[in-house]
Amino acid sequence: MTAVLAPALTRRRPPFSLSRWVERESVFSWLMVALPVAFLVALVGYPFFYGIWISLQDRPVAKPGEFVGLANFIRAWHDPVFRQVAVNTIFYTAAATLLKMVGGLGLALVMNQDFRFKNLTRALLLLPFIVPTVLSTIAWQWILDPAFSVVNWVLKAADIADPGPSWLGNPHLAMFSLVIVNTWRGLPFYAITLLAGLQTIPPDLYEAATIDGAGRWGRFRYVTLPLLMPIIFIVTMFSVIFTFADFQLIYVLTRGGPANATHVFATYAFDIAMGAGQFGQGAAIALSMVPPLALIILAMAIYMRPSKS
Amino acid sequence: MALSSRKSRRDVLKLTAYSTAGALLGAPAVRAQTKSLTMMHESSFVPPYDAFFKNKLAAAYEKEKGIKVNYEVVSVGSLLTRVTTAAENASGPDMTAIGFNWAFLFDDKFVDVSDIAAEIGKESGGWYESAQESVVVNGKWKAIPFGNIGQLMNWRTDWFKQAGYEKFPDTWDELLEAGIKLKKAGHPFGFELGHGFGDNHGWLYPLLWSYGAREVEADGKTIVIDSDETARAVDFCRRFYKETMVEDCLGWTDVNNNKAFLSEQISCTNNAESILWAAKKDFPDMAKVIDQSENPKGPKGRFHMLNPLCHSIFAHTKDQKAAKDFLRWLMAPAQAGPWYDIAVTYYQPFLHHYDEAPMWKVEPRNLPYRDALKTAHLPGWPAPLSRAQSETIAKFVVIDMFAKACSGKSTKEVIADAQAQLKQIYRAS
Repeated sequence: MTAVLAPALTRRRPPFSLSRWVERESVFSWLMVALPVAFLVALVGYPFFYGIWISLQDRPVAKPGEFVGLANFIRAWHDPVFRQVAVNTIFYTAAATLLKMVGGLGLALVMNQDFRFKNLTRALLLLPFIVPTVLSTIAWQWILDPAFSVVNWVLKAADIADPGPSWLGNPHLAMFSLVIVNTWRGLPFYAITLLAGLQTIPPDLYEAATIDGAGRWGRFRYVTLPLLMPIIFIVTMFSVIFTFADFQLIYVLTRGGPANATHVFATYAFDIAMGAGQFGQGAAIALSMVPPLALIILAMAIYMRPSKS
Repeated sequence: MALSSRKSRRDVLKLTAYSTAGALLGAPAVRAQTKSLTMMHESSFVPPYDAFFKNKLAAAYEKEKGIKVNYEVVSVGSLLTRVTTAAENASGPDMTAIGFNWAFLFDDKFVDVSDIAAEIGKESGGWYESAQESVVVNGKWKAIPFGNIGQLMNWRTDWFKQAGYEKFPDTWDELLEAGIKLKKAGHPFGFELGHGFGDNHGWLYPLLWSYGAREVEADGKTIVIDSDETARAVDFCRRFYKETMVEDCLGWTDVNNNKAFLSEQISCTNNAESILWAAKKDFPDMAKVIDQSENPKGPKGRFHMLNPLCHSIFAHTKDQKAAKDFLRWLMAPAQAGPWYDIAVTYYQPFLHHYDEAPMWKVEPRNLPYRDALKTAHLPGWPAPLSRAQSETIAKFVVIDMFAKACSGKSTKEVIADAQAQLKQIYRAS
């Protein structure tokens, strides 16, 4: 086929040749980018703007929509559950991100040392991140079930508590448990990325700092941390976005219970859109995530700007 | 032959163009010819039930009518999402299993099957009245009810006997009394109060109704949750939780009570027939000391939750006649009978023809599930089917009213919350 078509296209040399035009670097590069861009527009851009359009309508499932302006957003604002959901989401994100940041940095520092089985340990570290969330969460479901929990079993065996705490039944403990599971899952992402960052710091800087009389803390505070800042910023941004929009983990463990104590934006929006068949309201709730997320990221960008010096 | 990089670039573009064109042209050509129907179902708790359709019913129909019937199984809990997708895009399976008030939600997207519903009713001794509650929309049948997955009391006869009970307590108050004794003896109760799909509604709505309370009047407008009856039901629930149950119930979803019962953590719960079914399979000794009973009576009677499995035909189906013919064939006793049998009453028929069917004798402990059909209603009852009803369920308004009371809030407060939410939900629709 190529043999037949190619000469046909190139034999005559008209003033404008499509094939030549296509092969110009400036055109070809755009053509190559066009596919991923089209992909993004189709799978991210279009749904996003369609979501905005739906959020402005009263749009029940299987029925045509009716434009209602901002009514869905106003309604959400007056919904006590929505407010609780907002507080839950912010708490969940803040607590989990903080734990992941501190834990991840610590883990990365440890992993950066030389020790036996270093590579094996680094590979194993990634496990929580690699296992599909739904599967690992089902394992957590057993760990957090008081009747089968290893934790409760230990507490019972050590005569500390019997039958032990109800991890998902108590509203406060339920949120605490979810934060722990989220941290467990997200820690490797932090640790591995920060480890990569640590390895790019030139050793001579540490030597220079040591000569200047800096101790362990000084080297960390004045060499490691500033040079790691850009990476911490990127990882934290990613982590905030993922945690803020978390769905699977909560949906599998509590579905937002007990009594909405662990409902977050994503789970609530899903219940309203898919469970109740109210697409407009569901979209409005999901979109409510955008302004706070944008604000958080903006604040972080200003506060953690790497070029401060 | 030197292949220039230019040529390979061109090849890439051409290959992309050809394969895209090929994909676009090829697809419809294949579809047009096959004579087949697809039925979508949620994966059954009773695996032989799904296998029976695939291996026996579908094969028989293909042999008889030459139409291949595919059986598409989706995972538990994802059926509504799949039905929504199919209805919104007007593509996908031809028929689907549905539940709750979906016949109303997807009214325009389902075919009117009143004609075959009448024929099936006539053929099989008439429909139970409760069958119509979930499928008749504006006077038209939008689905053919298949069976109810009833939610009843599951209890341990040996432990109840030790506490002095030969029979299951007849009223909620007596059950509370029994529960207090059993918890003291180390055998607490466990009823789901979390955000599950079924086992929470299965007892909390009947509890509410049996105290004479309800969310909305039959007019579908007047919110009446703020009543003395509700307050009494809430007060009862708080005591019932604190004095008879394990603390964890508040966070339970539908799997937890099965796990807790089968691991001997609890002595009583509200569930479908699945606990006894699983016990007979895996814990035969325990199965001997399990019994099932209708929900207890309250001051205003005895109630159960309606949890129907029905079959609908999507309006986008090309050959609606073929789909109707199939459903009609499926519901004839020659086909439906053995299908009910294979699941041993896990799906309780809505047709009186099966009232004395042999399957009820296979496991007499399942009989209360048949009798419960007479007093079963959908959440939201006595109001007619509505969007608000779905929203109330999706927001767990009634469940959380009880759950919040159990976790320490005052009765007044939790009812006021529920009242405010219901007002907002019902006003908007």
